[in-house]
Amino acid sequence: MSAKAYHLNLLKASERVSSSPVRIRVMLPVLAMFAVAGAVVWWGSLLGRVLLARTSAQTLQTEIDTRKAAYADVMEKMNLANELESELEQLEYYRAGRNAYGGVLTSLAEVMPLKIQLTRLEIPQPPPQSLVPPGVLPGRPYTPLWGPTGNVESVSLVLAGRTPKETPIVTLMESLESDAFTNLVTIVKDPRRSDQSPKVRSIRQDASRRGEGSRMLAFEIEYRVKDRRFAK
Amino acid sequence: MNLQNMAPNAKRSLLITVVFGAAAVCIYLFAVVPSEGELARAKTELGEVQTRHEMMMRNLSGADKVKERLERINAGLDKFRAAVLAPSLESYAMGAKKLLDPLAAGAGLSETEYEELPLVALPVPKRLPVQLFARRPIRLVCRGSYQAAVSFLLRVEKEFPLVALQAMSITAQTDPLAQRVEFVFEWPAKGGRTKK
Repeated sequence: MSAKAYHLNLLKASERVSSSPVRIRVMLPVLAMFAVAGAVVWWGSLLGRVLLARTSAQTLQTEIDTRKAAYADVMEKMNLANELESELEQLEYYRAGRNAYGGVLTSLAEVMPLKIQLTRLEIPQPPPQSLVPPGVLPGRPYTPLWGPTGNVESVSLVLAGRTPKETPIVTLMESLESDAFTNLVTIVKDPRRSDQSPKVRSIRQDASRRGEGSRMLAFEIEYRVKDRRFAK
Repeated sequence: MNLQNMAPNAKRSLLITVVFGAAAVCIYLFAVVPSEGELARAKTELGEVQTRHEMMMRNLSGADKVKERLERINAGLDKFRAAVLAPSLESYAMGAKKLLDPLAAGAGLSETEYEELPLVALPVPKRLPVQLFARRPIRLVCRGSYQAAVSFLLRVEKEFPLVALQAMSITAQTDPLAQRVEFVFEWPAKGGRTKK
């Protein structure tokens, strides 16, 4: 057998059927090196991203620090504006709850029938305000509310007087239904309603005086007036 | 597999594989994993700073609007500040007397008598202010005719647009020119403070 006919069969049986022509003893170290290289690149990329994030954060923080004084000033103004706006809102409630009576009382003098002698005209004071929180049992200690729970205050106008007969009262009540009054004086004629207005509280023979007075009728009528609504 | 019987090339290959494999694992465990954590922290930190920065820039860009808003609110408040009843000799009744007496005298009312009544709280807005405002009622009792009383009321309503009438009564007396007239006027007033 000549030397030319010799050949070394260095492939193992498993390698002969393998798709990879490179031997495993070569591939494994190469793969391990690639793994190291990959891990290093991964690590490098992470370090780069960390550095980038830190640098960006540092840049933004520097800008924040630079504008801190201006920002504090703006924030202070914003807080002040919010506070003052709340105060203004509460004062607007006050303004909204204001009724003007001068015009109505002037008109009342004009429509008052001659036969009526007005003895009392009254816009009664509202009931005392309660600042007790709802649900507090009587006698138990409590912290008063900052303000009332409701924002509406009912107002009424009481007219009391004397007259020789009923007709002038009717005339007066009809007059109070005119446009000069209804912007302030409420007219609800349904007697089934709780907010009926006017309500004739009393009409009786005047017993306070003798002689001429005993022939007079004393009356008292209550009108509901536009509620004082303490709201915007 | 016996290492003794392995060919030198195979041994070297195995050694290199083991060394590099171990190095890769070490880099992963001791460098990559901590860096991942570091990156997460840096991102969180950056996110927080970005949020603060965005908020700051947004607020700073609205500085002019805030200034305008503050001026508008102050202008609105000035009307009320001017209307708040100032005490005279530490008495609000005296303060009211100073304001109302000239009008009462002009309208023909006499024997004026002033009395300070307890403050009445106003409803509070949703955003509770530190400084609360209230209604300060002052009772005025005087004598005069119905016309004088109404004339006085009209003058008060015209001169002091923020003074409100809380209650009133005119009670007839023998002399129609000297009826008993009672008014309860209200002024806006500083109330309590919600924070010390």
